[in-house]
Amino acid sequence: MTPTGPPSPRSHDRSLPLAGPDRRARPLSPADPAGPDVLGGKGHGLVTMMRLGMPVPPGFVIPPAACRAYLRDGTLPEDLEAAARDLRVPLVSVRSGAEVSMPGMMDTFLDVDPCSPRLRAAVEEVFASWLAPRAVTYRELHGIPHDLGTAVVVQAMVSGEHDEHSGSGVAFSRDPSSGVKRPYGDLLFERPGSDVVSGSVATRPLAGLEEREPGVWAALLDGLDRVERHYRDVCHVEFTFESGRLWFLQVRPGGLAGRAAVRVAVDLADEGLIDRATAVRRLSARQLRAARTARIRLTDDLDVIARGTGAGPGVATGRIALTADRAARMASDGPVILVRPHTSPLDMHGLAAAAGIVTTVGGPTSHAAVVARAMGKPAIVGAGALSVDPAAGLLRTAGRVLPEGTPVTIDGTGGEVVAGAADTTTDESDPYLERLLGWSANNPGD
Amino acid sequence: MTDLRVLHTLRCLGFTDLARVADAAALSEADTESRLIDLAVDGLVTRTPGPFGGWGLTEAGKAEDARLVAAELTAAGTRESVAGAFERFLVLNPELLDLCTAWHMRPADGVAELNDHTDAAYDSRVLARFVDLDRRAADVCTTLETALPRFASYRRRLSAALGRATAGELEHLADTTTSYHNVWFQLHEDLLVTLGIPR
Repeated sequence: MTPTGPPSPRSHDRSLPLAGPDRRARPLSPADPAGPDVLGGKGHGLVTMMRLGMPVPPGFVIPPAACRAYLRDGTLPEDLEAAARDLRVPLVSVRSGAEVSMPGMMDTFLDVDPCSPRLRAAVEEVFASWLAPRAVTYRELHGIPHDLGTAVVVQAMVSGEHDEHSGSGVAFSRDPSSGVKRPYGDLLFERPGSDVVSGSVATRPLAGLEEREPGVWAALLDGLDRVERHYRDVCHVEFTFESGRLWFLQVRPGGLAGRAAVRVAVDLADEGLIDRATAVRRLSARQLRAARTARIRLTDDLDVIARGTGAGPGVATGRIALTADRAARMASDGPVILVRPHTSPLDMHGLAAAAGIVTTVGGPTSHAAVVARAMGKPAIVGAGALSVDPAAGLLRTAGRVLPEGTPVTIDGTGGEVVAGAADTTTDESDPYLERLLGWSANNPGD
Repeated sequence: MTDLRVLHTLRCLGFTDLARVADAAALSEADTESRLIDLAVDGLVTRTPGPFGGWGLTEAGKAEDARLVAAELTAAGTRESVAGAFERFLVLNPELLDLCTAWHMRPADGVAELNDHTDAAYDSRVLARFVDLDRRAADVCTTLETALPRFASYRRRLSAALGRATAGELEHLADTTTSYHNVWFQLHEDLLVTLGIPR
């Protein structure tokens, strides 16, 4: 792998100002002062991590101006092939990276030979995917201008499936459910990153890395600490480790909601990373309102069986049912939580009968999530650690077996599945929210 | 001979009441009930009593439906056309789910809040995208209807749901049993069953 240094004098010469915005490829370099409008959000994050001394695979960015030109007249920057050749790596990834994040809306290509016509085709497809109807819909709904275009990030491939010391994962620097200062995330050994986010494979908790790859774990903690100090906020990273060597592929600051966001703001102020006025400013009225929705009370002895993605807010307690028929029958004796791999129309009566719904695969925009929200029911999707065995009447996780009928509580905001009947919490009892509100009332006392 | 029209309609609706089977099959309730009883006598469907009860297929009914639908497709000789339409459906499906999600939850300040439907401008943006998607879905429906006439029911029911929503009854986008999403969900199931693809 070629180490990435500052741009060569030649590339400086080539970046002399021309009429109109620069469309040329820019090597990923800690010396590049450009902002997200030129590097895209993903590219800017990668350059930031390089500046922080974190390991990032070498690569280059094709700016959004090139996308706009391509969509106008079908031309690509002339230096694309040269920039790819200069990487001197056998395979690259080709990813979109708009200035404003549009997760999952545009195309990604992996394992592309940088010296093949496929590279050109991949870049063209990523640019063209800016106009895909789904991406247009996303921009309409999120108020993102249609004329921005996307950057493309071309990077050396690092393989999460290379050997037993390889894998992929995603990590928050703090627990996204509670805001507690401990890394939280999902992990797969000997798998590519796409498997971690697809929801099709049961992931492992991030902490499993500490024992199996202590070097990678230490490097990850170090990186999370650096990005937190830089952004002065909780951060989310995507990473791959190949043969025991860690690489960061993406960073995104923020992204927590409700009580977790409140706790992080208060803790960051206590840690001196932000001042109290900043902590107060970060929490909008909307977020404070979100902090008041009912949640499971997070205590140290809470028995969390699994976590997925909260897909329908609210808390529900009930007995586990593993088929729609069982849910409909059991519901006459009290509340039921329906746990399914995914849902089909054959499950509709079970969804109607259940007090809450958990699926083990799928994301927050699945049929199950839409139906649950239409019915106003708490729902969790993609609880990948669970496996449903209706024939045996058992719900299995890595460490235990729960028979159908076992009481559980689910939190459709944080995505926790907890054994037994857990307490719920409201804003009156949250010391972090009280302190933050105290600061906002110009009362700095604790 | 097994009544595939009612059997397969119920297969794709999943588990439901008489009125919805009749509506989807475009038959009178009396006729539908009589046909359901015949299917029940053959052990293909069953009616579950109780508050969450309704009509549904037995395991034997699901197997018989799969067999008959496969035979129907072979006889029509249009597998390729249906498979092509399914691929186009799968391109539209994530966008439809995005739209339903945007209808229920509204992202603001990094928080996904329940959409309280007080912002008419936001709701009309979502509705406009539903209408745009529906135009593209119509092409898929036309292909399907040409390949197998029974698919005509989806165009009719999707149009009815969208028509009611654009007329102001917005719950017909994603919230009722006959909503655009629910009919779409059944079309998804129907395509999987018809092509013999496990979900």
